[in-house]
Amino acid sequence: MITRRLQYELIKHVGGPFLMELQGLQKRLKGRRGPRPDSPFGPPLESIGKLKDLMTRHYLEGRYADGAVPVAWVTSGFPVELLRTLGFHSVYPENHAALCGVQRLCSEYSDAAEKVGYSRSLCSYARTDIGGVLLDKTPVGRLPRPDLLACCTNICQTVLYWYRCLADHFKVPLVLIDTPYVYGAKDSAEHHQQYVKDQLEELMAVAERVSGRRASEERLLEVARLSYEGTMLWGECLAESTHRPAPWTGFDGFFHIGPIVALRGGAECNAYYRHLLDELRDRVRRGVGGIKEERYRLLWDNLPIWFNVREMSTLLAENRFNIVVTTYTNAWAEAGKRMDPTDPINSAARSYTHVILNEDLDRRLELMSRLAGDYQVDGALLHSDRSCKPYSIGQVDLRDKLAERAGIKSLLLEADHNDLRAYSTEQGNTRLQAFMESFA
Amino acid sequence: MTLASDPGNRSPGGLLWSPTAGFAAVGLNARRRTAGMRTDYIKEQKQAHGRKVLAVLPIQYPKELLTAMDVLAVELWGPPGAPRGPGAGRIQAYVCAVARNAVAFVQAGGTQDVDGYLYPHACDSIQGLATLIPSFGGADKPALHYLNPKGGPRPSSRKFVVAELRDLARKLEGITGVSLVADRLEWAIGLHREIDGLRLQLLEGRSRLALADRALYEVLRRGEWLWPEDHLAELKEAAGGLAEGGEGAVKQKGVPLLLTGIVPEPMTIFDELADLGAYVAADDYAAVGRRVVRKPLVRKDDPVETLAWLMFAYPPCPTRSTSLAERMDYLNRLVQQSGAQGVVIHTVKFCEPELFDVAGIKAHFGAQDVPVLFLESELESELAGQTVTRLEAFVEMVAQRRKS
Repeated sequence: MITRRLQYELIKHVGGPFLMELQGLQKRLKGRRGPRPDSPFGPPLESIGKLKDLMTRHYLEGRYADGAVPVAWVTSGFPVELLRTLGFHSVYPENHAALCGVQRLCSEYSDAAEKVGYSRSLCSYARTDIGGVLLDKTPVGRLPRPDLLACCTNICQTVLYWYRCLADHFKVPLVLIDTPYVYGAKDSAEHHQQYVKDQLEELMAVAERVSGRRASEERLLEVARLSYEGTMLWGECLAESTHRPAPWTGFDGFFHIGPIVALRGGAECNAYYRHLLDELRDRVRRGVGGIKEERYRLLWDNLPIWFNVREMSTLLAENRFNIVVTTYTNAWAEAGKRMDPTDPINSAARSYTHVILNEDLDRRLELMSRLAGDYQVDGALLHSDRSCKPYSIGQVDLRDKLAERAGIKSLLLEADHNDLRAYSTEQGNTRLQAFMESFA
Repeated sequence: MTLASDPGNRSPGGLLWSPTAGFAAVGLNARRRTAGMRTDYIKEQKQAHGRKVLAVLPIQYPKELLTAMDVLAVELWGPPGAPRGPGAGRIQAYVCAVARNAVAFVQAGGTQDVDGYLYPHACDSIQGLATLIPSFGGADKPALHYLNPKGGPRPSSRKFVVAELRDLARKLEGITGVSLVADRLEWAIGLHREIDGLRLQLLEGRSRLALADRALYEVLRRGEWLWPEDHLAELKEAAGGLAEGGEGAVKQKGVPLLLTGIVPEPMTIFDELADLGAYVAADDYAAVGRRVVRKPLVRKDDPVETLAWLMFAYPPCPTRSTSLAERMDYLNRLVQQSGAQGVVIHTVKFCEPELFDVAGIKAHFGAQDVPVLFLESELESELAGQTVTRLEAFVEMVAQRRKS
């Protein structure tokens, strides 16, 4: 335990920063590569290097975390602030699965899961993650074994089914925050809020037992403050795209979301977003866009198609289309509106219940219409995601309502967020081409 | 109106009940007749008894509360078969057909006689449906929701269920104009326990019952839309068969199997099993066995609290996310008590909660050398030929093992 803790602290405070410095030095020596002259994109964001460093350090620390500090595997919508207060190292299987998706590892990992009985109809994040666990493989070197699994149903029920399987595999406790779906009202019912609040209190008891530590109110307030601040900063970064041209693309946003998902409530997350915000503001001042020539602005709904980001973003940029806002990345900014860092438990009950996937379709349409107006979009791409049914149900009607109520022309594009076997690039590109031609 | 599953017409020995003729042999036009009978039944319930009718989506909901408030629950499991209208196109083809067919059916006016809808929180697809129709149209009747808490019983979820039940009672009051009366709820709880008791007798005494699987399931599934007292009368009649030929007389000689899944559709699976010389010795369908409480009732001073207790007393179900270990223990007991020689996982395609447990069930029973067959079917009215072939091979294999 002491040796593991020493290793962990050394990596966290010395080894990690040193390696990052070394990598930075190598990059500087090599010289910075500019964009290809024929690239349809604007100059790359300089912050991308810092983002890579931050996320690499997070995964590097993770390699040494088990046995040194308590480790929780956590869903992206989980109120992680409570765990952070107790010093848990958090691993986000969704974030990790996305990373595998970008590297096109889903098929290999999923095969291992399918071999033991997990259907290909299941979420490809879950299959990637479970397959990785079964194969004991990961592109980040090693994932720490969890002491606790922490799951919140505000993004889907799928995560709960998935985490039940992980709990059975790792034989560790699974804590659940069950957030009642908000139907037909702007605010959830009082007894629903109370239920979430009661569960948060139950969670603290389990997390304290697992970690062997007592939660300090002072620390909780500090983490809640940092979380609120990080959320607001992330929202400000996204809002820079209300400018024309947008200083970055929605595809950039998909990658830069990493810290607010995985490191929310930590000072390093906020420091990163301050840096990113400065850069985006500077680009806005200088009129530098995410793509060289931004003629049409689009809204993206649902998760990205991780394995196809480069190809799709290039196709869009070549045709002067920029995705300037996405409901997915906006979800982490939207939460800030209901946060009150001085009242962390009630605030968490409210803000973690009212997330896009836990509110009814009226709210979703309202949100999309508002975003379409704020970001002055000309059209919308709705990713009908085979692997994310809760995000996809309702999109057929949403497409029609967006056209009727906001005059937004939309394309429903069927794909999968991680499994490239469920997507035909040629067909997808043809549909995108036809959609783009309709704007001419 | 065909709100629940329609019995098909393949089983020559199948029985069908009607208010006038009792159990009668199933004929070629049984499907059509039953559909009409159900519509007539609902109309009769409304006219003769002044009852309100709610179309109820799967799976678990406090039926006792509806009964106590004189509301007839008519469950909407799709219905099976091809979608009954273009409304299915509002939901992507990769979503469970129970949800897709329900949208089509509702939008096509299939539920015009009901007074409202109840959407219990079962899974992401039903949750999606519960906002799609009220938010974007398809029905102009009130939509009520009942949020089943996920995970095992915890102090927070027990407290929540009590509040949720009271909230639902208030909303039902808005539809019926009838207030919830404690005595009436006590009575309804008792009535449903009596029903559960008989359903349990029929399921656990399966080998001693001469009825074919198809006929038994038709009786059991009529509880999806009959007024509970009418359903109880049918169950009593069916349970009378358990004593025929003397206590313990075994009447099912085929290969005993455990069937697990969401809903036994298409019902022709029972005809196929019968043709192959197998029968359902143990049931773990969410629509059937998983809704039969097996624990002795714990009465509380307040019947709403008794009902809240009941909501946690059902057998393990992945839609409520009880732990895998708990579910495996339960399935193990079913296999042991029934003497089932094999397990058939029969689930509707794209049903996430069920599909996530397949690997666990395979591993669990694989380790005990109990053969497992995984069948994914659509909600169509017939099983695909290749599915029947797989079923055939499986039953043959289990029968061979049994002999050796």
